[in-house]
This record gives sequence, structure tokens and C-alpha cells, in this order.
Amino acid sequence: MAISRESRAFRDISLSFEPHPVTKDLPILKNARAITRSVQNLVETIPTERFFQPLLGSDVRASLFDFVDFATASVIEEQIITTVNNFEPRVDNVSVEVDPQPDNNTFAVTVFYDIVGQDFPTQEFTFLLEATR
Amino acid sequence: MPFTKFTNLDFDQIRSSIKDYLRANSTFTDFDFEGSNFSILIDTLAYNTYITAYNSNMVVNESFLDSATLRENVVSLARNIGYVPRSRSAAKAQVSLEIPTTSTSPTMTLKAGLVCVGSVNDSQYVFSTPEDITTTINSGVGKFEDVIVCQGTFLKKQFTVDGSLDQRFILQNPYIDTSTIVVYVKGSSDDGKGREYELADNILNLNKDSEIYLLQEVQDEKYELLFGDGYFGKKLENGAVITVTYIVTDGIDGNGATNFSYSGRITDNLDNVIVPSNNVTLTTVSKAQNGGAIESIDSIKYFAPRIYSSQYRAVTARDYEAIIQSIYPNTESVAVVGGEELDPPQFGNVIISIKPKNGDYVSDFDKQNIASKLKNYSLSGINQQIIDLKVLFVEIESSVYYNNAKVSNVNDLKTQVSSVLNSFATANINQFGGRFKYSKLCQTIDGADTSITSNITKVRIRRNLKTLVNQAAQYELCYGNQFHMNKDGFNIKSTGFGLSGRNGTFYFTDTPGTNGKGVIAVVKDVNDNGEYEVVIKSAGTVDYIKGEIILNTITFSSTEKENDIIEIQAVPESNDVIGLKDLYLSFSVADSEINMVKDTITSGEQISGVGYKVTSSYLNGELTRG
Repeated sequence: MAISRESRAFRDISLSFEPHPVTKDLPILKNARAITRSVQNLVETIPTERFFQPLLGSDVRASLFDFVDFATASVIEEQIITTVNNFEPRVDNVSVEVDPQPDNNTFAVTVFYDIVGQDFPTQEFTFLLEATR
Repeated sequence: MPFTKFTNLDFDQIRSSIKDYLRANSTFTDFDFEGSNFSILIDTLAYNTYITAYNSNMVVNESFLDSATLRENVVSLARNIGYVPRSRSAAKAQVSLEIPTTSTSPTMTLKAGLVCVGSVNDSQYVFSTPEDITTTINSGVGKFEDVIVCQGTFLKKQFTVDGSLDQRFILQNPYIDTSTIVVYVKGSSDDGKGREYELADNILNLNKDSEIYLLQEVQDEKYELLFGDGYFGKKLENGAVITVTYIVTDGIDGNGATNFSYSGRITDNLDNVIVPSNNVTLTTVSKAQNGGAIESIDSIKYFAPRIYSSQYRAVTARDYEAIIQSIYPNTESVAVVGGEELDPPQFGNVIISIKPKNGDYVSDFDKQNIASKLKNYSLSGINQQIIDLKVLFVEIESSVYYNNAKVSNVNDLKTQVSSVLNSFATANINQFGGRFKYSKLCQTIDGADTSITSNITKVRIRRNLKTLVNQAAQYELCYGNQFHMNKDGFNIKSTGFGLSGRNGTFYFTDTPGTNGKGVIAVVKDVNDNGEYEVVIKSAGTVDYIKGEIILNTITFSSTEKENDIIEIQAVPESNDVIGLKDLYLSFSVADSEINMVKDTITSGEQISGVGYKVTSSYLNGELTRG
């Protein structure tokens, strides 16, 4: 039977697997950084990519070959909000700004959210979506 | 918490086990959230475990004959206990040929290969002979009598022995009828095709000079030839040429082919081609039959252990069942009765009755073949008799009540009931040692459709008397089930027949006596008002308890039914009918009566029951059958 734990801290492993220079431990992502990484993973996961969870992820990659304009940006915004709301229960008040950069064939995405039950200010992080990964 | 759930084959359960383990044994917490890095790692681990568990499960399953599913593995496991699965078998027809020629050669040879083309169901099939056949030419005509031709294409394959250890002799065609394989081996001192090697199915009586080959099925329903090693069977010499001829067949599809047209090749004694000087006369002696599919996986699983337990010796009834199935693939069901169980006993005899897959009777030719092959397996001093199938037909007369409010078309409902009964017959009854279970039948009829409210079903049993027309003969019909005896008679009924030296249509009927016995009388219908006149008061006897009818010497001149058949029916004492000893029980839905009756009470038309049509639960008092 699973043991219930009282800790409210979020701890995730980092997939960089670069050991700490002093302790040689694997790096750990905590709290806001862990959640940020999680949201980014969700957005970048293509549906059907995860084993036996065909619905997990977002379809933003399908939009990356469309015109880099505000219409596409609006679609991407919707997709990211839906994905985060569906699969990341630790965040709330999600909003997304997508800035199309046609010269670079890129969308700059900024995600804003509050962490549920934690006394942190509104979080934001930015990443670039481009047609090659 | 120990991680000990090794048996999970479900991805989610494996993932859940890993999470439980981590929850108890690590400082990480985020694995419960699907987007986390840890979740990705857990998914990968779980997927790896899942694939390993699945593969292990499959490998273990495929290691046992009972649970293996891939044909290649089933065949391989059966091979370990010495069982060679049956190949496809070609439909075989018998034809006679008369070939006119102007050749001066004393003989002519019908070459192995294509002989004729036959048709069935608007499809053309080629028929070939696996070996050359030679006949003499008399008065400018060469006659080939009763040539057996096999449906399929004749093919030839040659191998040159190179002496390497890993050389395999695999015939690359699937769909081969292995009984048509002919193998010649030409060594350095041999002429022509070389010496013919025989198929061996075990290593008994083999020595270092035995010219034999063994056969085994390999991948994709292909066959491999194995030769001797110099201890058991003659070893092949380097550079020897192996010539293998065989027929690739369409199996069951070729059954029934007739209307053959000649397409063969004829040569004279010097191997020059002979062109017929006139039209070739081709007579069909028997149409194509006995074509069969390759042995199914289920059949291999069933028969391999039985053949192994019989050790290729026919001792018990089960041994016969397994061996007859292997030497006569067209077998659907076999009944074997020891002579000591017969009445009167016939010690030393074994009575065998075979129901072939296509039809009711095994031909005399096949019977002789089966009997001679059985001799290789049977005990000395035991005599096998293969007798014709004795079919005990079960018929019903059923009144099916239905709720009119739920039915749009009564004929459709009736068709549905018939269809359900046919499935019931195939699945539960039609076999040797079968049992007709009355309660199950009633249940099946009730369950055929939701609109059926009830049924009243009466059972009768019938055997067909095959008469010898215009010949005086005595007849005995065993039903193997006790007859119901109504003291007023009308228990035994028959279809009409003619008697030698008398005019009119006659019928059998019975007059019950004492001690469960009665007398069979012959009656004639005087007019159409159901009046009959007794013509022969005592034409035989009926034993109601044993379920047996014996007719004294009588000469039939004709029968109302086709094929010189008189149908004789009785009412069984019990509604459950068994197929005793060598009787093949067959539920004849086509000869059964199904009457659809409106259930006026359930449908709400006459809720008081007034006007409800009542059906008798007893059979009618008519004198004749039909």
C-alpha cells in the first residue's frame, strides 16, 4: 500500500543527467522549476508519443508548418492552454502569449500560471517553437 | 516495500507497481504528474518490463503443445513425439482413356503430369498423375482403365548432393499432397532418374542399405526430405542427383469435379511423342472426391498425443480413431465396436464404421485401402470389418408459439428457428456416440428469438431401409433405442413401396403383442379416406424393448422414395435418443416439421384463454409416415 506523505514540495529528476560538480549527485528540479519543466514536456509531447497514453501532449507541432502569423499563434495558444489544463493539475490561471516571428519561422511562447496551494508569485517561462526540434 | 509483482502483463499495473516502489523508497515526488521527467522515465521502464513479460509469456506458451499457437511451433512439438501432420490431399477421380493411334509401337505410356481438366462450380481444375502409366496397343487403340488422377499441378524438383552438413532438401511449394511425392536418387553408377526411394515413417526394420527417405513439415507448410545416415537408411553419396516429383493441389476445392477433357501426353516405347489419330475417348468412372485441407492446428494438438499413446498400434477404440484419421484424412467421425459387444458376439472381429467428411458412405475402394493399411497397425488374429454407415435419424414435430406483437414476418421467424436447429445439430448431435438431448433442444427453440413464448415438441426416430429391388431378401433394422408401444398399434410407420406380383402402394404397420414384442404387417390403402386393407398379416417382427425390426423374406418391386429407400419411423420411449454402438446419430432438420402457432394469450388478443389453440403433446394416430 502506498505510504501517504505530508510534504508539499515537488521534486523531479533532471533529464540532463549531469552530476553535481561537488557531490556528484544527479541534479534535482524542485518546485517551480519542476512544474515549468513539466509544462514544457506536455507542450512538446506529440499525442500518441507516450506508451498507452495516446491523448497525452499537444498538437502544436502540427501548426508549426502553417503561416507564422497571429492566426496560427491563436491556435497554438488554445492548444497549450487546453493541454496544461488537462494534464497538469498543479497549476491554475493559465494564460499563454504566443509571439509569431516570421523572419525566424518561430513562435516565442510565454506561459503564465499560478502554482496551486503554494505561496509563489505568478510564474512565467518562455520557450521557442520552431519547425525543427 | 519489496518489488515482487512479476506476473503483471498489463502496462498500467506495471507502471503503478514502479510508482508504489518509488513512493516508498525515494525522495522524488513528481512521478504522479504525467508531464514530469520522472514520469517519462517510469513509462520507459514500464514499457521495457511489459515487453519482456509479454515475450516471456509467449515463449513459454509456444514451448508446450497445449498452448502453442503458431503452426510452425505446434508442428515442431508434434514432431518431437513422432507425429507428421497430414498434408493437403488432392481430390482423386477415376477415368478411363481410349487413345487411337497409328503408331507401330507395341506399348504407349501416359506420362506423369497433366492428364485432364475437370470442372466444378464453374471453375476449371487440372488433374494429373504422379507416375508414368504404360499400356499395350491393341488394334490401333491404347486403353488405360480406371486411371486415378489427382487434382493439382505436377511439379519436379532436383537437388545435387554437395556433402555439406547443412544442406537441406526443402520443397519450396506449399499445398503439396505428400502422398504424391516420388523420390529418385541417381548415384554415380545409376542410369536414368536413378533408384526410387520409399517413404519411411519410422526406423523399424531399416538398415544401412535401406533406400528410404523421411518427411517432415517445416516453415510455411512446406516439406523437407531427410535421408539416411549410413546406419538407419542408405547415406547419400556426394554428387548424387535427387529428383523429386509431386503434385501441388487445391485440396477440398477440387471435390466434385466431373466433365473431364483430355489434355495428357502420350509417348511410345522409344519415348517419342504419340499424337492421337482421332478423338480421345475419356470416360469418368468416379467423380473427384476425398480432397482435403492440410491438418489444422487443433487437429494436430488433438491427434499427436493420441498417436503417440497408441504407439502406432491399433488396440483400443481410441487407437483406431487416431490411426484411421491419419490413414484416411477424409474421416469426420469413427465408431469402433469390439465383436464381443455385439449381439450375438463375434469374437476376434472389430467392426469399424466411418463417416466421411463429404457424404455418407466410404467407397469400396477406400474401404479396401483402409483395411489393408490398418493391417500394419493391428494385432495378429484380429479381423477388422469396415461396414457402411448406419444412420439413425432423429426428427421432431414442433409447434412453436410466438408473441404476434413482436413478429413482423412469421416466415422469417420460422427460418430462424430452422437455422438455430441446424447449428444445434452440427454442434451437439451429428456424430457417433452422440446423444439427442430433448431438454436442450426445447431450450434452444425457446431461445431462438425473444418473440417465442413456448414450444411443444414431439420426437420420432427413423432409419432408411435400403431395399434390394426385385430380389427376395430378409432385412433387419436396429434403432438402438427402446420404442414407445401404444397398445392400439400405429407405432411403426413407413413410406410407400411396391410388392412384386401385387398392384398398389403398400406400407408397414405394427400390431403389439405381449412381452414387449409385436408383429409387422403390410397394409394397402384402399381409398383416399384413410381406409387400409391388411395384405400380409405377418411380414416380420418388432422388438419394442430392443428397438429392432426384422422383416421376413420379402420382394420389393419399387419404393416411393428415391434410391430404393423405405423410410421407417418409430416413436422412442425416451425423448433423449442415443447413437448406440455403430449407429451414427443425425438430427434431420429438413425432415422435421416446424409449425408456427400464434400465442393469443401472451400477445393480448385473448387474455382469457378462450380461443387458444391447444397442441397435443402426443403423436398423431395416422397409419403411414409423412
